[in-house]
Amino acid sequence: MRLRGDVNVLAPIAILLPLVAGALLFVLPDDPRLGKIYGTLVAFATLVVVLLARHADWSVRWLARPFTAAFHVGPTPIGWWLALLLGLCTLCAVAATNLPRQRSFVAQLLLLEGTMIGLFFARDLLLFAFFWDAMLIPVFFVLLGWGSHPATAWRYFIYNFAGGLLLLFATAAFGVIYGSTDVIGQSGAPLIGAWAPWIFAGFALAFLVKTPVWPLHTWMPATYADAPSPLVAVVSAVQSKAGLYGFLVIGLAYLPTYVARFAPELVVLGAISLLYGATVALVQPDTKRVVAYSSLSHLGLIAIAIATRNPLALQGALVYIVAHGLFSTALFLILGYVEEREGTRSLIRLGGLGHANPRLTGAFTIAALAALGLPGLAGFVGEIVILSGVYQAGWTWAVIVALIAIVLASAYMLRLLQDAMNGPVVDDLPVRRDLTWIEGLAVAPLLIALLAIGIQPHAIMAAIAGAVR
Amino acid sequence: MILNPFGTADWMAIAPIVALAIASLLVLLADLVARPAISRYGAVAIGLLGTAAAAVLAAMQYGHVYAAFFGGFVTGGFTTVFEEIVAIALAGSLALYATLGDPKRIGGTVALMLWGSCGAMLMAGAANLMTIFLGLELLSLALYCLCGMVDRRGARESALKYLILSSTASGFLLFGMALLFGASGSVLLADLARPQLAANPLFWMGSGLFLIGLAFKMSLVPFHAWAPDVYEGAPLPVTAYMSVATKAATLAVFARVLYAALPAGTASHVMLPVWIVAGISMIAGNVGMLAQHDLKRLLAYSGIAQVGYILTAMAGGSALGLRYAIYYLVAYTFMNLGAFAVATAISGEHEEGARLVSYAGLARRRPWLAAAMTFFMLALAGMPPTAGFLGKILILATSADSGYAWLGGLLVAGTAISLYAYAKVVRAMYLPQSGDHHVADLRPIAPLAWISVTLCLIGVIAMTFYPLTPSNVLPLLR
Repeated sequence: MRLRGDVNVLAPIAILLPLVAGALLFVLPDDPRLGKIYGTLVAFATLVVVLLARHADWSVRWLARPFTAAFHVGPTPIGWWLALLLGLCTLCAVAATNLPRQRSFVAQLLLLEGTMIGLFFARDLLLFAFFWDAMLIPVFFVLLGWGSHPATAWRYFIYNFAGGLLLLFATAAFGVIYGSTDVIGQSGAPLIGAWAPWIFAGFALAFLVKTPVWPLHTWMPATYADAPSPLVAVVSAVQSKAGLYGFLVIGLAYLPTYVARFAPELVVLGAISLLYGATVALVQPDTKRVVAYSSLSHLGLIAIAIATRNPLALQGALVYIVAHGLFSTALFLILGYVEEREGTRSLIRLGGLGHANPRLTGAFTIAALAALGLPGLAGFVGEIVILSGVYQAGWTWAVIVALIAIVLASAYMLRLLQDAMNGPVVDDLPVRRDLTWIEGLAVAPLLIALLAIGIQPHAIMAAIAGAVR
Repeated sequence: MILNPFGTADWMAIAPIVALAIASLLVLLADLVARPAISRYGAVAIGLLGTAAAAVLAAMQYGHVYAAFFGGFVTGGFTTVFEEIVAIALAGSLALYATLGDPKRIGGTVALMLWGSCGAMLMAGAANLMTIFLGLELLSLALYCLCGMVDRRGARESALKYLILSSTASGFLLFGMALLFGASGSVLLADLARPQLAANPLFWMGSGLFLIGLAFKMSLVPFHAWAPDVYEGAPLPVTAYMSVATKAATLAVFARVLYAALPAGTASHVMLPVWIVAGISMIAGNVGMLAQHDLKRLLAYSGIAQVGYILTAMAGGSALGLRYAIYYLVAYTFMNLGAFAVATAISGEHEEGARLVSYAGLARRRPWLAAAMTFFMLALAGMPPTAGFLGKILILATSADSGYAWLGGLLVAGTAISLYAYAKVVRAMYLPQSGDHHVADLRPIAPLAWISVTLCLIGVIAMTFYPLTPSNVLPLLR
């Protein structure tokens, strides 16, 4: 049965559903249970809509001058996978939420989901920039309202807003030169001219801040450590991928010569992030910071893969983007459970949780093994394909650096597992209950998806075709 | 025997201004007749009706270009647009007087505001030097009085400061006009565009002094120091009015000079200092905003920077740039009036809404007002989904297109700085641990302020998704 005409309208619905539902939640009564059930249902409905909207394409004219722009939404193949990842992560995050003022928090999560689906569905560069800035606002409010230090909110907001402004300027210049910003996912000619390097610089800086890549990462560890786990799960799993997505659909598609010209610089930055993140993760005493720095490390690897423009590396990059999203969501959610139960994130104070909480430990172990690249899980597929591609492209030293970092990844992930979950029971920590079935249900889909992608990654790999010239 | 040299068409051209003048006389008359004095709502209602009449009359002239009074006042698309902006600013500020201000002086206050708007509208259509000066002085004289229209030391300081500094600027302006007249032998702006003037040193000196006068009125750095002090002392509705109407009227004069009254080829040289000053304003205004604890001072510094953004759009001298400047000015009008309306809605006799401490914990006490204020602050910072976002991208596109990308770069840098200051207001409202010790809800219901907030919100959102810009703003002169 073909319902082409009806399918197209699913694209705006996927964006508006969480936005409207999130705004509506603010006027509903402030009941924590209601907020969570409502939020879970909306997130689930959104996931279904995103799933169905794979071939949707919907457009309305926005600007005619100084360049044409449209409210053009519909997922690119890459964007669809990211939106799907976002839908799943948000669903799990909402289901795992257990916070004061829960209703408002869930509402902000839904608003965040709506703006980010907008970002991944945007086929117009101006609309992309629009959602790029809009998605900062819910995170800022959550950091203000639920974070432990207001300074973190500032750092996050100003860093990312500055990046967003560069993106805005680059978009404006792109539009003026190109005549249209309705370009994402379409096979237009690459941008040329005297302005092109500056436009590339604007985009690249904005994307590198968002990813983040060393040395633009300083907003990230504090944000990931201070914010409530469900939010961090979504931000680290999906929002941080917005920059990489931008590199794929704008950088590689419209400024390929400049990606090629600046590939050495990008690879070096990626390699530094890779090693620096892994080394810092090795010594951090704070559980969430360990995962935060491991994210820096993993995303550095993806940045390298994209910079090489090797088709194999790009396929690996997309798989790894999805895999990292899944395992970092799982890790942050489970560490959130631990923090809730034990009241601490310190590896020095934690220990021996495995004795009392076997289910929690089991789930955490699977996620940690995926993060360190155990064969059979999604992380391994991503890493091995990326490394083959990067080697194929001739960056042998980068492969060596990455291998060192992967060894380090095993070290810090096992350290996390060892110090928090295994070992003797720490006496001053009261024994808390194991995962409830709702909490377990909230992370189970992520672990299942990790296994499924580890076995069958081809569908994701196919999405990358056509992204590179 | 002297015949009346002006026909009906001349008088029709200034019909909106006449409507405002009549309304202001009616307010005064009603104040005289009514016992003991005209009621607050009565005065505001007459004022709003007059404004509405003026707006309708101005709208009727949109497509009709006519040079009235021997070319002293030109009607048409551009004039209409700026008259409408003044009308919006007037309506938005009058609405605030429904809850604020001394009830005994309400009649005079409203009348002065209407007269000041006559001056602002005159500037919108002014096409010779004398009309410009007439409009400017009419506006300024009304504002001097309005600034002092409340029994407060700060208000008297504000009025005096504004009087002295603004008169100095008028002196520059007038001297510049005299030199320009000496150079061209005519008061008509159109005669300033004659090519032989480019070689005349009087023209260069005259336009330099003239632009200094305008830069002062637009509060560009380094002529900006009056703005925060005057805004701080003046009553809230007057500050709201000044921050929008004065800027709009002065920008109208500036645009007319830039687009129509310069000899061909001289614009980029004559105006270069203005662009540099605009660039400095974008940085200095936003930096100055960071340290403010008073909403009026904060918005004064914000205004200094925002004028810089608007000038960036005009820098290339393209028709499209002018349209985007107008677009941004209208958006700015809505954002600013909205922010002031929120401030009024939480103000009592002592204008508590002007101080940032009053916003602590507002999100819990008044969630809707806090949400609206957040929206206006994000709009001023240029975040989506607001017209501020789209306005900025249009301005950036124009600056990249017209070879003034360096102004675009300064705009980006300035905006990045400004976010901290705007978000400071948001943070005060939403930070959970902030105290409730400055509860200022003396007037739980301020219906006109609420309506104003709502209309401004609708304006800002609608402009984002339907970015209409007036198409027939050129030619500015005949």
